[in-house]
Amino acid sequence: MKPETQSRIGIYVCHCGGNISDYVDVAQVAAAVAQEPGVTISRTHMFTCSDAAQQEIIKDIQEQKLNGLVIASCSPKLHMYTFRAMAERAGVNPYQYVQVNLREQDSWAHTHHRDEATRKGIALVKAGIAKSRLSEPLVPLRVNTKPRVLVVGGGVTGLKTALALSDLGIAVDVVERSERLGGWVADWKKLYPTGQDGQALVAELEQALAQRANIKVHTQAKVTGRSGNLGDFTIRIRTPQGEQDLNVGALVMATGFAAYAPLPQEFGFGLPGVVTLPELKKSLSRGEPLQTSDGRPVKTLAFIYCVGSRQKKTAAQPQVNTHCSRTCCTAAAHLGLNLTGAYPALRQYHLYRDVRTYGKHELIFGENREKGAVYVRFDEKEPPVVSTEGAQLRVKVKDTLTRREELEIAADLVVLVTGMLPRENAELINILKVPVDRNGFFKEIHPKLRPVETVMDGLFIAGAAQSPRLIGEAVSSALAAVSKCGALLKKGYVDLEPMIAVVKTDKCTGCNACLGVCPYQAIEKTVCDGRDQVTVIPFSCKGCGACVPLCPENALDVKGYTDEQMTAAITALAQEAAV
Amino acid sequence: MTRVNAELLKTVEASGEFNAVACMNCGTCTALCPLGLTNLPREIFRDVVLGLEEKVLANVETVFSCLLCRMCQVNCPAEVKIADNVRTLRVHLNKTLHHL
Ligand SMILES: Cc1cc2nc3c(=O)[nH]c(=O)nc-3n(C[C@H](O)[C@H](O)[C@H](O)COP(=O)(O)OP(=O)(O)OC[C@H]3O[C@@H](n4cnc5c(N)ncnc54)[C@H](O)[C@@H]3O)c2cc1C
Ligand code: SF4
Ligand code: SF4
Ligand code: SF4
Repeated sequence: MKPETQSRIGIYVCHCGGNISDYVDVAQVAAAVAQEPGVTISRTHMFTCSDAAQQEIIKDIQEQKLNGLVIASCSPKLHMYTFRAMAERAGVNPYQYVQVNLREQDSWAHTHHRDEATRKGIALVKAGIAKSRLSEPLVPLRVNTKPRVLVVGGGVTGLKTALALSDLGIAVDVVERSERLGGWVADWKKLYPTGQDGQALVAELEQALAQRANIKVHTQAKVTGRSGNLGDFTIRIRTPQGEQDLNVGALVMATGFAAYAPLPQEFGFGLPGVVTLPELKKSLSRGEPLQTSDGRPVKTLAFIYCVGSRQKKTAAQPQVNTHCSRTCCTAAAHLGLNLTGAYPALRQYHLYRDVRTYGKHELIFGENREKGAVYVRFDEKEPPVVSTEGAQLRVKVKDTLTRREELEIAADLVVLVTGMLPRENAELINILKVPVDRNGFFKEIHPKLRPVETVMDGLFIAGAAQSPRLIGEAVSSALAAVSKCGALLKKGYVDLEPMIAVVKTDKCTGCNACLGVCPYQAIEKTVCDGRDQVTVIPFSCKGCGACVPLCPENALDVKGYTDEQMTAAITALAQEAAV
Repeated sequence: MTRVNAELLKTVEASGEFNAVACMNCGTCTALCPLGLTNLPREIFRDVVLGLEEKVLANVETVFSCLLCRMCQVNCPAEVKIADNVRTLRVHLNKTLHHL
């Protein structure tokens, strides 16, 4: 703590045009706090953020040798960084600048009570001064970043991530748990929307990969441990060759999706001739003909949509997949179209709940209908029933498009249009602390504005592991993750906010009350001078303060918001309120 | 319970152009029909597509009362040639019912 006598604080109260001064007497506020202990100078400005005002403040700082600043203006959301940068230019530690919000918290809130608003303004500034007097100079935590990224998952998303990172000059390790690359796409031929061959696509990516000296592919590999932090992680992986540690600056999770596996009897699953869409697509891609379970040609084909997706919670089934898998309506229509091409006499019935062939894929849906596929809409409360009569499959369905006519379709093959689920990855999620949503997909910080970042700094997500998506969409997110990695790693270092938790080693008794609460796993057990204690990992702590009130010994403090500072600020406020 | 039967559509198609399978059941035609024929074209067409012959036969009068004004056809978003399809259906019914 800095002795109070050494404080030389400058106070700047802003008119904000009239946003503040129309309702708060700013001159009175400035005068009322001028005599506070530690205050050297107290002024007002029409616009404190203007360049002219900043120049004047910088001049004051240098001439008056100020070592603390309180600016009473707008919300710190607007100008905290403006004034921090100004303080730094003038030679004052940016963390010894305190912003008091006189606009949102005072003038705008009390437009009809000028005197009271002025009194509140004085109290708020005095609290800011009390906090400033106890402020300490802080320096950002600098992490020297490793120009290397670990990509988990070697599907199309992972491979494209690796290639694009390599283009940026960032080295890559790809960890793939199976023995081959390409994920699902490596099993498929014709893909929509272009009709491109999936296997050729994967071969193309693999060829490009082989040209890069800075990409290392580890197959039959799994992540077994993690330590370190943003910019400097150590990830342990195990391959058939043994264990090794990879030192990387960031991670991209591209672990893809699993197909929903229908339960026995679900829509006749288990009966001969009832298959799933991914299975059928795979078998046709292998060049096998479209045939019944006993090898006859298929004349009538029935698809049942939304199997394993868009489920409703019931008492019997509380754990359901509520999401729409997005790709399956189009995948089924596209497969139907290809089959019509190969087998013109084939009759197709598509039993659906809603058709979600969004965007350009609507054309595939339209073309499939025009070429003769019959779409039958069922109500989710009355789903189709599949049964057999001898070798013949029968699908019963109530068609909501014909007065709920109960139809029976004699089908040779029934295709269950199964949805996309996240792959089973409990161990990986636990080791890397990847946040997941209620359907088990990896979860971003903000679906619109921060779509590939997670709450774990340095851990990015991409592809179908995040939500059901097409290859093009998966690759877009891969490239977004690449640009985030590039922005993080190319500079060579990253500066983190120094407002983090610290443990007062003289007070911590090692009771571990704080251990479980930290959402970032930033608190660790340690031994200090032979005593059990905890320690905070500086680069992992985000300064959220969740741990502080839990400590029964008051052994935790967040820098910049210490107990002492907060108590002083509250005391100042309370004294003013009592006047 | 009605068995779906693709044969009816095949026979109808033999009488002329019939592209009702492209219909997506939006209901535009029903809303626009000046005669207020509620089950023409989308329901009767669908009965043909699914092979529900009895339902078609129960609606012969409706098929023949259509004015062929094409109000529906020009507005169909799925480009179903509705009036042309009605004509084809009439040819089919004339052949099968009246042996014309
Ligand atoms: C039936 C169907 C048809 C489709 N058709 C098309 C189409 O025609 N056109 C189109 O654009 N999209 C299509 N899609 C979508 C397409 O399959 C996906 O967009 C694509 O597979 C996503 O690639 P990915 O790399 O994210 O995931 P995946 O292909 O699932 O690859 C993920 C990889 O990560 C690996 N992995 C998983 N966990 C770990 C771990 N813990 N450690 C290491 N490795 C791990 C897996 O082994 C796998 O190799 C279709 C989807 C379905 C269901
Ligand atoms: S994409 Fe279509 S089949 Fe798949 S879950 Fe969504 S609505 Fe159902
Ligand atoms: S301040 Fe928040 S992030 Fe830091 S150690 Fe405490 S609980 Fe964890
Ligand atoms: S307007 Fe066309 S698509 Fe819509 S219901 Fe009538 S025939 Fe079908």
